[in-house]
Amino acid sequence: MTTIEAIRPKIKSLEGMPTVPAIVQPLSSLLRQPAEHVDLEKVVELVSYDSTIAAQCLRMANSPLFGRRNTETVRSAVIALGIKRIEAILLGCCLNRIVPADCWSIDPNTFWRHSLGCALVSSRLAKMIGYPDPEKAYLSGLLHDLGILVNTLACTEDFRECVEKARQEHIALHCCERERLGFTHCESGKILGEHWKFSPDVIAAIEFHHDATRADSASDLVSLVYLSDLLCRVRDLGHGYYEAMGVDFAGENAWLTLVEHYPTLARMDLARLTMDVDGAMDEIVAVVNAVFGMQSS
Amino acid sequence: MATVGTKPARSEDLDDPAYLRIRDVIYQISGIYQPEEKLYLLASRCSRRMSALHVASPTEYLEHLTVRGNREAELRLLLNEITIGETYMFRSPQQLDALRNVVLPQILQAKTALGFKRLHIWSAGCSTGEEPYTLAMFLLEEKQRLLAGCSFDVLATDLNDNSLSAARAGIYGEYSLRSTTEPLRRKYFKPAGEKQQQANEELKSIIRFDRVNLNDDSRMTFLKGMDVIFCCNVLIYFDLASKRKVMQHFYANLLPGGYLFLGHAESLYQVDDRFHLVHFPGAIGYWKPPVGYAPGDEP
Repeated sequence: MTTIEAIRPKIKSLEGMPTVPAIVQPLSSLLRQPAEHVDLEKVVELVSYDSTIAAQCLRMANSPLFGRRNTETVRSAVIALGIKRIEAILLGCCLNRIVPADCWSIDPNTFWRHSLGCALVSSRLAKMIGYPDPEKAYLSGLLHDLGILVNTLACTEDFRECVEKARQEHIALHCCERERLGFTHCESGKILGEHWKFSPDVIAAIEFHHDATRADSASDLVSLVYLSDLLCRVRDLGHGYYEAMGVDFAGENAWLTLVEHYPTLARMDLARLTMDVDGAMDEIVAVVNAVFGMQSS
Repeated sequence: MATVGTKPARSEDLDDPAYLRIRDVIYQISGIYQPEEKLYLLASRCSRRMSALHVASPTEYLEHLTVRGNREAELRLLLNEITIGETYMFRSPQQLDALRNVVLPQILQAKTALGFKRLHIWSAGCSTGEEPYTLAMFLLEEKQRLLAGCSFDVLATDLNDNSLSAARAGIYGEYSLRSTTEPLRRKYFKPAGEKQQQANEELKSIIRFDRVNLNDDSRMTFLKGMDVIFCCNVLIYFDLASKRKVMQHFYANLLPGGYLFLGHAESLYQVDDRFHLVHFPGAIGYWKPPVGYAPGDEP
């Protein structure tokens, strides 16, 4: 059995991987300044250096999912998407490059569809209920399954068995991980998130996205990501297999937590949101294929 | 909702905000929802009605649906266009997956604990019978597995006598059977003329057909003890007051822990708030919680 302690050194070694683009460090530190101090021209310049990131920014800025703006230049894409969204795209690109094609046990396109779907649903839900930072919700949604990448890399074969068991028994992946590995992608994702110095609330969303009741802090963000992850998993944006589940969202503790702080949620038309998620599916697939779809098995 | 459809001739028409307003009118009145990314399907359905009416723009057509004297009739005709082609067997495999993997195991566990072994499923508004025959095949196929030791029946009701006669006869062409696998066709159907198949006696024996008006309080009151109700694309034609009344009946007709399934683009938002909306992979069900259930409990 692989333990969380055994994979900790492997997780730490991920930082120095050559596949992480050279622009990440300068761009990342640039983006972490307060928004009003960020030098827009410098961001445009750095994004333009990396063709994959530049292409992804353009593709996203032109997608109906983000408003479809007929954006043709990197500069207008950066403006259209906003500085915070660039950070999420940047991280997505880095993460996409750290897993070699032969390690994946979940189809990488399926993984990114779930991650992007969860990012979109989290930010949409955030806006609908009036949560103050929809971009953070987007970023947390995109990164919530970071630990799946960690487990794919750090314990490839054991994790492959977890995925296979989950697929065969129609059960949630984290339940198989706990049984087979002794830990889940929530914990391994948290370790990498800490190592990469993500903000504490994003780390909380990664750690507790399968058990929102355990979050001591950032409970609203954790709850948003928890519910968005569930909604994606019941709308064909899961991990590529049938999970036998029936989810009464309004009865979930995460829902009740959010309703306490955002009463509009109680009046939300959930069936309509669900059908909107279905409607966005084709575009999510198209964006993922265009942006991440380079190593599909 | 059928996913086939021709896109309107001019894609720029889709940017016409009138289509969003038509979408919202349909949703408000019928409960059928079309996400923005699939507006081309709605536009295609509207274009057929617009041609029939010689209407040039979606804005003008919106008037036909909202302010003209014939608006109710026109809305009904548009709903017919929207739901056309929805009636064939195994139309909603995700609903059957939900039944097999979640709903029936949950219901059977609760029933068995109380010593009950009979399962009642109701296809309300069964039209020409594709849905109840699908349910009957599903149940018979699960007889040795999930339903071992249980008995079961399907009540199939409709208001229309012609539809009911066709349903009782159980004769179907290729369109109705297009998603029915060859082994199931061989097992539950027999040839009935050129390119047609008729449901066999085993299949028919599971189903009881009856004429029921869902607006008829005296009939509805006595259809108690249901475990699962299917009512797909029927309530879309009802006004809000009638919908609410039918939902009250369905709630009373279901046993605690029972489920109601609607058409997959239908919503009960603001129609009834006693049912709990439960999401299954690819399907939505409306759940009548058992007595004593509190939010936060496991269903």
